[in-house]
Amino acid sequence: MTVGFAPGLSRGHDQNDPPPGVDAILAEAQRLRWEIGGDFHQALMEAIYTDASNIADRAVTRPGERPRFDLDRSIDRLVTSRVWGFPLMLAMLTAVFWITITGANIPSQLLADLLIGKGVPLLHSIAAALNLPWWLSGLLIDGMYLATAWVVSVMLPPMAIFFPLFTLLEDFGYLPRVAFNLDNLYKKAGAHGKQSLSMMMGFGCNAAGVVATRIIDSPRERLIAIITNNFALCNGRWPTQILIASLFIGGLASAQWAGLISALSVVGIALLGVLLSFLLSFSLSRTVLKGQVSTFSLELPPYRPPRVLQTIYTSIIDRTLIVLWRAVTFALPAGAVIWLISNIHVGGVSLAEYLVNFLNPLGLLLGLNGVILVAYIVAIPANEIVIPTILMLTVLTTGVTGLGAGAGVMFETDNSADLMTLFTAGGWTLLTAVNLMLFSLIHNPCSTTIYTIFKETGSRKWTAVAALTPLAMGFIVTFFVAQIWRLVAGAL
Amino acid sequence: MNEHSDRNNGHQAAPAASDGKELNFSEEVQLLSGEMPDDDPNFTLTVQPAPAGHSAAGCATCPSHNAAHLQRLGIDMANWNYVVALAGNPNVGKSTVFNALTGLRQHTGNWPGKTVGRAEGGFEFGASRYKLVDLPGTYSLLATSLDEEVARDFILFGRPDVTIVVADATRLERNLNLVLQVLEITDRVVVCLNLMDEARRHGLVVDERRLARDLGVPVVPTEARQRKGLAELLQAVDDVATGRVVTKPHRIKSEPPALKQAVGQLTAQLERAFPTLPNARWVALRLLDGDPRIVEAVQRGELGELDAA
Amino acid sequence: MPDPLLALLIGALLLAAALAVFWPQRGLLARWQTRAHVDDRVRTEDALKHIHKCQMRGRRPTLESVAGALGISTEAAARVLSAMQAAGLVNVASGDYALTPQGRAAALHIIRAHRLWESYLAERTGYHEQEWHQQAERLEHDLQPAEVEALAAQLGRPTHDPHGDPIPDADGRFVYHGGQPLPALALDTPGRIVHIEDEPETVYAQLIAEGLYPGMEVRLTEVSPTRVRFWADGDEHLLAPLLAANISVRPLPEAAAQSGPAGVESAETLATLRPGQQGQVVTLSPRIRGAERRRMMDLGILPGAVIAAELISPSGDPTAYRIRGAMIALRREQAQLINIQRLAETTA
Repeated sequence: MTVGFAPGLSRGHDQNDPPPGVDAILAEAQRLRWEIGGDFHQALMEAIYTDASNIADRAVTRPGERPRFDLDRSIDRLVTSRVWGFPLMLAMLTAVFWITITGANIPSQLLADLLIGKGVPLLHSIAAALNLPWWLSGLLIDGMYLATAWVVSVMLPPMAIFFPLFTLLEDFGYLPRVAFNLDNLYKKAGAHGKQSLSMMMGFGCNAAGVVATRIIDSPRERLIAIITNNFALCNGRWPTQILIASLFIGGLASAQWAGLISALSVVGIALLGVLLSFLLSFSLSRTVLKGQVSTFSLELPPYRPPRVLQTIYTSIIDRTLIVLWRAVTFALPAGAVIWLISNIHVGGVSLAEYLVNFLNPLGLLLGLNGVILVAYIVAIPANEIVIPTILMLTVLTTGVTGLGAGAGVMFETDNSADLMTLFTAGGWTLLTAVNLMLFSLIHNPCSTTIYTIFKETGSRKWTAVAALTPLAMGFIVTFFVAQIWRLVAGAL
Repeated sequence: MNEHSDRNNGHQAAPAASDGKELNFSEEVQLLSGEMPDDDPNFTLTVQPAPAGHSAAGCATCPSHNAAHLQRLGIDMANWNYVVALAGNPNVGKSTVFNALTGLRQHTGNWPGKTVGRAEGGFEFGASRYKLVDLPGTYSLLATSLDEEVARDFILFGRPDVTIVVADATRLERNLNLVLQVLEITDRVVVCLNLMDEARRHGLVVDERRLARDLGVPVVPTEARQRKGLAELLQAVDDVATGRVVTKPHRIKSEPPALKQAVGQLTAQLERAFPTLPNARWVALRLLDGDPRIVEAVQRGELGELDAA
Repeated sequence: MPDPLLALLIGALLLAAALAVFWPQRGLLARWQTRAHVDDRVRTEDALKHIHKCQMRGRRPTLESVAGALGISTEAAARVLSAMQAAGLVNVASGDYALTPQGRAAALHIIRAHRLWESYLAERTGYHEQEWHQQAERLEHDLQPAEVEALAAQLGRPTHDPHGDPIPDADGRFVYHGGQPLPALALDTPGRIVHIEDEPETVYAQLIAEGLYPGMEVRLTEVSPTRVRFWADGDEHLLAPLLAANISVRPLPEAAAQSGPAGVESAETLATLRPGQQGQVVTLSPRIRGAERRRMMDLGILPGAVIAAELISPSGDPTAYRIRGAMIALRREQAQLINIQRLAETTA
């Protein structure tokens, strides 16, 4: 105990010799370390825990018997049991996704009607009343506003449902048990069981999934989770998959099976994403990331009844709105760019057409086309606007009439006959559709996610790895699929 | 609390100071004299109205105390009298306490790493205004991770007037690890013994008075989710902040003899070099553990400067 | 549209070429970087290290041994040595090489850099122990004295590297571990491993595979010309004397020993506990190191702590343990490194 003797000691010395200099103290510390040797840290921790244990023993008593029925223990036995553990988990997650998808449909439609169906004409009439020049109203309304409205109406409802549900499971204490159940699988891929949770968040939104990797406190496994999160097929990419699958793949089967076949193909793509995330985790942990520190510990906290209202409030504020805000700040300039490249003409041809023509050979080599590549370049801020951009650009480059609302104005339609006409005019084949689905899964994360990765890792290097690795993989996969497809198709 | 008080803060420093003097009779108080207003010019900084002044003087080089990094929650934290830090293990309801005290709704989850930045909020209690700083949830302060470094740096260099350590009553032993580490750094600690309802549910009885006696600092049982015990917690914080209660913190005593001797030797040297250093023994422990951040702080005179300023 | 077959072939070739160039560590780029790295200065420093090591062990450094250590021809080694002689780093007298004081200081600087790097790789990175030495061999040549100093400060001025070798301080002072080869230890007396030689690599790999580390407590039970049998932290090992001689031990007073007289304390680890069983921690293996070791200690996994197994993941691993009131899941590989003494079963 210093408190007792130290002051007297120091006062006594103060009178006589000068206090030791800083360097002398540090040298003394170093000398003492050599003298003590061994594991000082362990000795110190043992001392702390010995005291902690003594104090806790005196303060805590357990009068009477240990309660016969321990709720926490019973829940734990159930949710981690060999028989019920995985089925319960699947049921729980299916329920969350089902509630999200069905629950988001109606508000999404409402928002789209309101923001796009009513908002765009309203804004145009205001612009007309103000006598805004056509290019300004086009840029502001058809470009920036439309892109933002699109992102909001597609993104907001599912996130506002998905995130609170997820947070409720988290607050209850169930999610750490999911990580516990799945850890062995992730361990084999060199990852952390909690990556299962950040991936699930990624199905809602990759940016949120990347933020969720904070729960992984081991540096190497956290980087792995961040870099591979992109392979969780996010909310913004599901509509692309569903649209293309129902048009092209569902079309292959007879009408009664069309729905099932296209649904299965979308689920197949999502599962391929999970598989790829494992493969990438595996190779990352054994190559570029093997020098990163790796630790494992997973605390299973006690179950607590979740506070529903507060959770809904905070998860909407904390996760949904922050992610949405980031997406909006990226969608605004993207809308402007989309509108501008479609409306700035050089020598009678729009920039967009130049770009499309320039990228077309590469696109065709990859089994895609120039329009798709341009759409992925300009729509990098949000996957939600990829399909509307593709449709607009296809109309622009093919000159199909009767569809769309003009150059630079993104649109969508439910009429599959119209869409098929448009795609056929654009030269689309089944290969284009399959490769678009693959490329939609395997390409660089959206800029919101890239920015989030940079914020979370604070490292340009890892941000570049996270952005470029999937892009390279996407090029490689689509390239080989295209060539093999053509070989087989040529042989048949 | 949101309502702005335009009371002059200088007024509140005076009663706090005289309260402290009245109790100036024990050996411990002698040792604490570094915190007495008349001895320590730095004391005036704690009641200085301008926030920038405090952070510049208190921790110019400390990154975590840089206003640019703060998470502003749109709450009025100006004109505080005291800075209170909120520490605790992950998953002990620390953020529930924070939200209950500040009226904010800072979302955190069950797991470590949620509060990566520091959240700050204000509240007013009694005659004083407080700034509450929510530190990342950590198991320890021995700086294994970034979270731990942020928490440790704030308690050490940010020098909060009071540090509340939220502890889980159902896992007391594990939580005491952190409490004991904080007690080595600072005397001005209040232990918030949270989750008392869960402890009851598990058939545990925690004798908080016994605990307070052993730890040498106030221990307040709370059930933060039900907002129970918060008034008592605030009273204890106020008592420690104003100096009405002088703590006599527990110091780790189970070290092996060789270690104890080395620590004593180094502590004595540190105390001679930095006579006003309140936690020389802790600094000695860190030096013996080879903590590079503390070595650097000693070299740069950051530790001494705080007291000499 | 190019011919798909041609495109496929070209694509596959390009992919293979890219992999061959950029593959980490074994790719052409990595190999070229390593090769470009070895220049005369690096050879000189390696030669200094070799001569110093020979002197420490009482062996005679020769032209051949220098050539062998550097992996170069004797002619090249002779060139390196004469350049060193000209620079005043070595003295040559009748075929014997001896370091000048200047040479010794330079050698200690390199040794310090090497051992600090090994400590860094062990404590602050996730590299496997077999990679520490090789990486440090490359990195040691890149540091100026001030940078070595900064590295030491960042690591908290460690006194020993992870193999148990002392790290010289900036002035070249250090304390040799003072151990004796394991086979020289008296039978059935406790000793502590103070050093494990990390060269040659194949021998080191075998010792690592045996799970032997500095800091372990050992007891010899049998020494014969063909084998050395001993207990280390509760596990029995059998090694060829040649291998065992690469382990240095220091006798331990019986009172300080944690193992029983025969050293045959049951070798149980946390991983052997089934749900409902409990045990008391005896030691944490030295193989748990760096951030992981500190985290475990923070959670209260320390000698004396009582730990009960509670749940096993339905996928077989990890297992959740009750540790000081909290439920903490640990993986099997971690639990296997925590030595315990079994206690009576809990009533749960």
